[in-house]
Amino acid sequence: MTTTRAESRARLTGGLLLWYGVLGGAVAWVVHLLAGWSLDELTCAAGSERVSAVPLWQAVGLAVVVPALVTVGSLLVAALAWRRTAQAQEAGADDRAFGRARMLATLGIWANLLFLTIIVLGGVAVLVLPPCQR
Amino acid sequence: MPTTTPSPAVSPADLARLTEHWAEPPSLRAWFSTVDHKRIGRRYLVTAGFFFALAGLSALAMRTQLARPEAGVVSPQEYNQLFTMHGTAMIFLFATPMLFGFGNFLVPLMIGSRDMAFPRLNAFGYWVFLFAGLFMWSSLPFGAAPNNGWFAYAPLTGEQNTPGLHMDVYALGLLFLGISTTAGAINFIVTALKLRAPGMSLNRVPLFVWAIVATAFMVIFALPALNLDNAMLFLDRRFDTHFFDPSAGGNVLLWQHLFWIFGHPDVYIIVMPALGIVSAVLPAFTRRGVVGYPLVVLAIVAIAIISFGVWVHHMFATGLPQLSYSFFSAASTIITIPSGLQIFAWLATMLLGRLVLKVPLLFVIGFIVTFVLGGFTGTMFALTAFDQQVTDSYFVVAHFHYVLIGGAVFPMLAGIYYWLPKITGRMYGERLGRWAFWLIFTGMHVTFFPMHLYGLFGMPRRVYTYRSEPGWDGWNLVSTVGSYLLAVGLLLVLVGVVHAVRRGKPAPPDPWSGDSLEWSTQSPPEPYNFPVLPRVHSLHPTWDERTAESTGPGASADRVLSEGRRTLLTSELDAHRERAVEMPESSLQPLLLAGALLLFFTSMLLAWYPVAAVAVLVVVVTIAVWLWPPRRPDRELGVTA
Repeated sequence: MTTTRAESRARLTGGLLLWYGVLGGAVAWVVHLLAGWSLDELTCAAGSERVSAVPLWQAVGLAVVVPALVTVGSLLVAALAWRRTAQAQEAGADDRAFGRARMLATLGIWANLLFLTIIVLGGVAVLVLPPCQR
Repeated sequence: MPTTTPSPAVSPADLARLTEHWAEPPSLRAWFSTVDHKRIGRRYLVTAGFFFALAGLSALAMRTQLARPEAGVVSPQEYNQLFTMHGTAMIFLFATPMLFGFGNFLVPLMIGSRDMAFPRLNAFGYWVFLFAGLFMWSSLPFGAAPNNGWFAYAPLTGEQNTPGLHMDVYALGLLFLGISTTAGAINFIVTALKLRAPGMSLNRVPLFVWAIVATAFMVIFALPALNLDNAMLFLDRRFDTHFFDPSAGGNVLLWQHLFWIFGHPDVYIIVMPALGIVSAVLPAFTRRGVVGYPLVVLAIVAIAIISFGVWVHHMFATGLPQLSYSFFSAASTIITIPSGLQIFAWLATMLLGRLVLKVPLLFVIGFIVTFVLGGFTGTMFALTAFDQQVTDSYFVVAHFHYVLIGGAVFPMLAGIYYWLPKITGRMYGERLGRWAFWLIFTGMHVTFFPMHLYGLFGMPRRVYTYRSEPGWDGWNLVSTVGSYLLAVGLLLVLVGVVHAVRRGKPAPPDPWSGDSLEWSTQSPPEPYNFPVLPRVHSLHPTWDERTAESTGPGASADRVLSEGRRTLLTSELDAHRERAVEMPESSLQPLLLAGALLLFFTSMLLAWYPVAAVAVLVVVVTIAVWLWPPRRPDRELGVTA
């Protein structure tokens, strides 16, 4: 069986999307943690509460909102992959790749929910705590 | 000797060829040059057990000293070395290598392979581990052992505050050991991704293998931080650099950040494979698969990632901004969810299954009780205010012993009893095992539960003695009595293992009706593991008829692979067959390279720099010889006359 170029491109895109659905939230959380923590720590250590012209809490807030949105996107992709693989299995597809993709999608849904929770909790702290209070 | 008849799927000629290619003759050279993952795995288990005994004896000496106020069993200097070597050895020389030992022996068997991906690297990892352990322990009789605690905070570890070789041994010893751990981790990842039996797609990988692979990834990402820290410490001490010296532009908190970036994931590096053991043991003693397989995989992966974002909770008393703490506090709180998921999955498995109350299951139940209590106090540390109150008190000591003994030692003991028939080909004595369990369980709780109390009463950790007035003496005596009970229990485990090896009944291939592939091999397995490499059709291959049939009569020659020392390479996600690969034969190069590294680290410690330079030369030459392409026959290279 030969694979056309369009098929192999679709396969690659599908694979990359699936991995975004599985690991997107994790990567977003890492960015949130490193950006939020280092912005807060370094700015406060320098005796300032501003990053250039932006108030520190807003800069840290950005390090919460953007990763949260990326995680929501990843969650949606994982949910979509889960539905598609479910439909394929109901239609009688017996390829073990479907079973594996379905497991990865399930993993992605739950992992994204966990990472979204951590990012949201960090966001609550940004709203509640003055950025340089020790 | 193996205890079953040869596989009906393979002809006697094929079996003879497999034996010829894989078996190692019993000789002294073969002992030193072996690359068989089963022999190396057994060596890891025995050596780690030996270091565990040394660290345990150190603990007994400390508990004897603390049994009464103002006792003089050991001096303050000796006490400092004992608690540092106890912690360092338990973490670095026992827990991780012991679990790597299980991994070495079991991963190839569980995934249906004939060896690890890099057998020589595997042997090299073992020799480095052995030499690094001896390097560190041999400093103790000279009174030069590490003496600043296992996490060695700067600036106390600087040359000015800790003169002598003590912390040089620590820094160099851990750098040396790190080579072994990194090599082992790379090997596990490649083995699990590339050598799985055909059909073992990611959703059919045993939970123990998932746990080992997640651990290996954690090692790869966490260990460089520790190595960097130790390299800087050694440079500060020996060559007057000032990485941790604020007066010269350095930063003391840099040590803590780097150490805990490694150190907290390391808690999970220790616990994760042990949790994998629990997931491997339960199906055999509940007669069903672990409930919620995808969620347990999720828990393993999520813990492996989130554990890298909680390190600052070890630094809640260092005066960083509260907002910074909150990011880490959130992660520290949420990481309990995947941990809890696994606990509920195991409880549900026991609830829905049919329990067979043998010794391995007793240790699993002991693990759940103890680990949950340790996790409970761990969650308390996620709250910054509470953490600051109990920092550096015995409450912390109680917590991490519940986590590490509960979360690692109990599962290891379950694993020892569970896989002893597979590893040695002999059955253990059930009655002696039960005695050992109850003594260990009771001893553990009698030793460590009171530490919560006298920690809350204000007793700081790492004091070599105390006065009677604060009322700590009674509780300390209880802890000491408990520690002796614990030691007797552990001694019974050793007696049980030795008795099984010498006089145990021969073990059948599958005494427990286990669900993973190692139980389809002989006890102990043949040097080539599987006469026919299986084709996997489900998550529980030995309970699955189609998988069993794949190794029965009619198995195709492309899974027998008797023409050479070969195993199968498969694709990473779905384990599609790619090709057969030739595996390396035994070699003395791993031992030689590890020996040269030992010479290098010893000469650096003793400031024999010319000798260190020679050692570097030997290392380079040995690596070059190791990697030099072998001479192959012209025919194999495609050259025709």
